[in-house]
Amino acid sequence: MTASASITSSRSLSYIALFAALMAVFGLIPKIDLPLGVPITLQSLGVMLAGCMLGPRRGFLAVALFLLAVALGLPLLAGGRGGLSVFFGATSGFLFGWMFGALACGFTMRLLMRRLAGASGAGLLAATFLSCVIGGIVVVYAFGIVGLAWVASMSLSHAALAMLVFIPGDLIKCGVCALAVQTVVRGMPGWHLDRD
Amino acid sequence: MRSLYSAQGSWLHKVPAWTKLAILSVCGTLLVLIGRPLYLTIACSAVLLVFVSVGPPALRCVRMLGGMAIAGVLIVLFHWAMGTIWLGVASALRIGSASMLALLLTLSTRFEDLLAVLETVMRPLQRLGVPTERIALGLGLMLRFAENFYVQWQRLDDAYRVRAGHGGGLRLLAPLTIRTLQTADRVADALAARLGS
Repeated sequence: MTASASITSSRSLSYIALFAALMAVFGLIPKIDLPLGVPITLQSLGVMLAGCMLGPRRGFLAVALFLLAVALGLPLLAGGRGGLSVFFGATSGFLFGWMFGALACGFTMRLLMRRLAGASGAGLLAATFLSCVIGGIVVVYAFGIVGLAWVASMSLSHAALAMLVFIPGDLIKCGVCALAVQTVVRGMPGWHLDRD
Repeated sequence: MRSLYSAQGSWLHKVPAWTKLAILSVCGTLLVLIGRPLYLTIACSAVLLVFVSVGPPALRCVRMLGGMAIAGVLIVLFHWAMGTIWLGVASALRIGSASMLALLLTLSTRFEDLLAVLETVMRPLQRLGVPTERIALGLGLMLRFAENFYVQWQRLDDAYRVRAGHGGGLRLLAPLTIRTLQTADRVADALAARLGS
């Protein structure tokens, strides 16, 4: 795909649908438990990958398409959850945050890749990791914390404290995403990481 | 891929999808506006009665409410510790009622019917040049390939297991993504040939 391919082209639709499918597959892969018993599901990794690989707009649309399928009743979230009820729960802020997280990942990645033209190796690794931290942690958690505080009538600081336990797992995912993007770029040298 | 829709009929299955969506929107808004635990208890009891009246299809989906129940208990415990237990009870009742209503909609409405409502609601966007008809195509593609990619993940995992004696885990992420992108390219060519862009 060229960096300037139209957002409504068949090629864009194909990439959007296929990254949404990748997120659905991540929901089928059994969760991994961290030493303290905190579960890591791979779907937020899918958010980071979609943003970094597809760019901000297509990454946003890929996550939106995935969430639309969930809202229409498909059990695509980790643990076979789905339907509209998941958008009314205490963690619903995270689901909305995923879309904007992918958008922020894509924006940061585009900005960094245009600054570090042709970056590879450690430069690419650092750029992807930073993009994932900004989009996949800062933005997603901002939505998640505001959502939890609103739904559970908590203060923002208490909601943020309750979420701290998940940060180590998400930092690991940022590292995994950075390694995966580097490997993918090595395997597909024609792939652009600075797309719109 | 199977939807959470229950094929076993109930009185709620006969209510049109757009009516159920409208009722869910109104009830969701009301639940946000109600603050008193007493009124929320009455509302939650009424939703519970509707849930039970739907019968076996609803009872089979009770496990879907497990996460919501745990979150509700944690919220009540948190507010109990903070000395604001009634605020916690009100929040938990609100989440419980809204989640049950949404689950009732999901289990009694076919995927295609909800999609038809969505397409109708989004039709005005077509005048602004938004290709809304591609939403259904995107969903279809996504579901077809989710199953395909899961099989690919299992094949990669099996191949890794044969070589290394244990599953590949996250090491398979990059090869799976590369395969996904290569498949996307082939699908894009086929789509461009059919749709012309």
